[in-house]
Amino acid sequence: MSVENVLSSRVRIKILKILMKMGELNISEIARRLNVNYSTASQHLRILEGAGIVKQKTFGKIRLYRLNEQSPRVRALQNLIEVWESK
Amino acid sequence: MFKDETKLDISYVPSRLPHREHELRLLRQFFNFLLQFPGKMAQRIIITGDVGTGKTAISQRFGADITNEANKLGIKLCYVHVNCREYRGSLFLILHQAVTRFHPNFPRRGYSAEELINILFEILDEENAYAILALDEFESLVDKEGSEAVYRLTRLQEIRYGKPQRLSLICIARNLKVFERLDASTRSTLQSNIISLEKYSKKQLTDILNDRVNLAFKPSTVSDETVDLVAELAFSEGGNARFGIELLWRAGKYADAEGFGAVNPEHVRRAASSIIPTLRKSEIASLGLHEKIFLLGIARLFKTSQAAYVPFSEAERAYAIICEELGEKPHSHTQLWKYLQNFAATGVVKTEVSVVGNRGRSTIIYLPRIPADELEKELSSILEEGRRSS
Repeated sequence: MSVENVLSSRVRIKILKILMKMGELNISEIARRLNVNYSTASQHLRILEGAGIVKQKTFGKIRLYRLNEQSPRVRALQNLIEVWESK
Repeated sequence: MFKDETKLDISYVPSRLPHREHELRLLRQFFNFLLQFPGKMAQRIIITGDVGTGKTAISQRFGADITNEANKLGIKLCYVHVNCREYRGSLFLILHQAVTRFHPNFPRRGYSAEELINILFEILDEENAYAILALDEFESLVDKEGSEAVYRLTRLQEIRYGKPQRLSLICIARNLKVFERLDASTRSTLQSNIISLEKYSKKQLTDILNDRVNLAFKPSTVSDETVDLVAELAFSEGGNARFGIELLWRAGKYADAEGFGAVNPEHVRRAASSIIPTLRKSEIASLGLHEKIFLLGIARLFKTSQAAYVPFSEAERAYAIICEELGEKPHSHTQLWKYLQNFAATGVVKTEVSVVGNRGRSTIIYLPRIPADELEKELSSILEEGRRSS
């Protein structure tokens, strides 16, 4: 997936920012924090997962998402967001 | 006054627990196998003791020590201390607390307590970790969930055939009564290793308080007399060290607020009166005239001497002086002795027999809960009113 596709969504960028801050969250919590519905959050997370940017861990019925810290793409994105957000 | 008042905080766990060394060693013995053969066996321990006997402190100290030791050996061990009452005795919330040690944002909804037990084991397996779950105020869990929840907690890992034993339990309760409410099979899984903490003696409380004084206060700001009074009060509250430590902190605050350079027994009495109900005015008013005079003598003695305790003989002399001031004929020694017993019975004063040299025994009087100047003011105004109306 191309970088413009991944970064063309405000929701996806917000998901990245939230996971950078919180470390790990389930879909409902991500949806609640972004004020979007569950299926929207889930859909965006699938795209990010497909791009290797987030990964999930399942415990029973619970799916927890976190950034895929091993990915150089994630490190680059984290750097971009940090630089951008710093005043 | 203070050099570090956090050392008097209820959540502070000192590196040394005076007079609990034996119990701490015992606890360590019970869990030895966990460091030698991790995963081969899980442990269940019961710690009982009254309020302020060090149940929480000993468990937390042990938890911190064994975690350090395990980490040095490359064993991932996590000690989770949960106060069941804080979580309303809910097994779900208690287990959630354990799970959040590994996944801090683990959601609180969408699954049952039973599923959460499995999730906890799943996490422990995945992380190749071991957990010691300390269930403080265990009574709350049994009150809310009954036997079944405790049974599930203890038995679930036993049916994980072929998998490592990862979860050990420390159940902390006031006494063993709560375990009688569990069904026989649950009881049998729990009640094998019991550590019972006895109430602290006054001497032991003094040692504990001295340790805390050294950690929390600047040098020479808390006298032996002050510590002695705090220990006496903590002892009278059932050997409650926690009460004593809190009292010490409050007394320090009073002394600080009043600009004193040291904490004296009067600050302790003031602090005590702010946490325990003092004598009601009506109770003082209902005393007989000479009881009031005698008590006023005791209050004056404490006020002027700043002492932790006074001898009965001095109280008698102070009483005789006030009788002279008021033009009253003093009552006999035996009568005053009876008054003193009444005061002690109602908790106004506390008496103790002390051995003085080789000349026999003498009674000493403590004024534990009421600030001497408040008591003096109260009695003086009641006596004054009585004189005006007569």
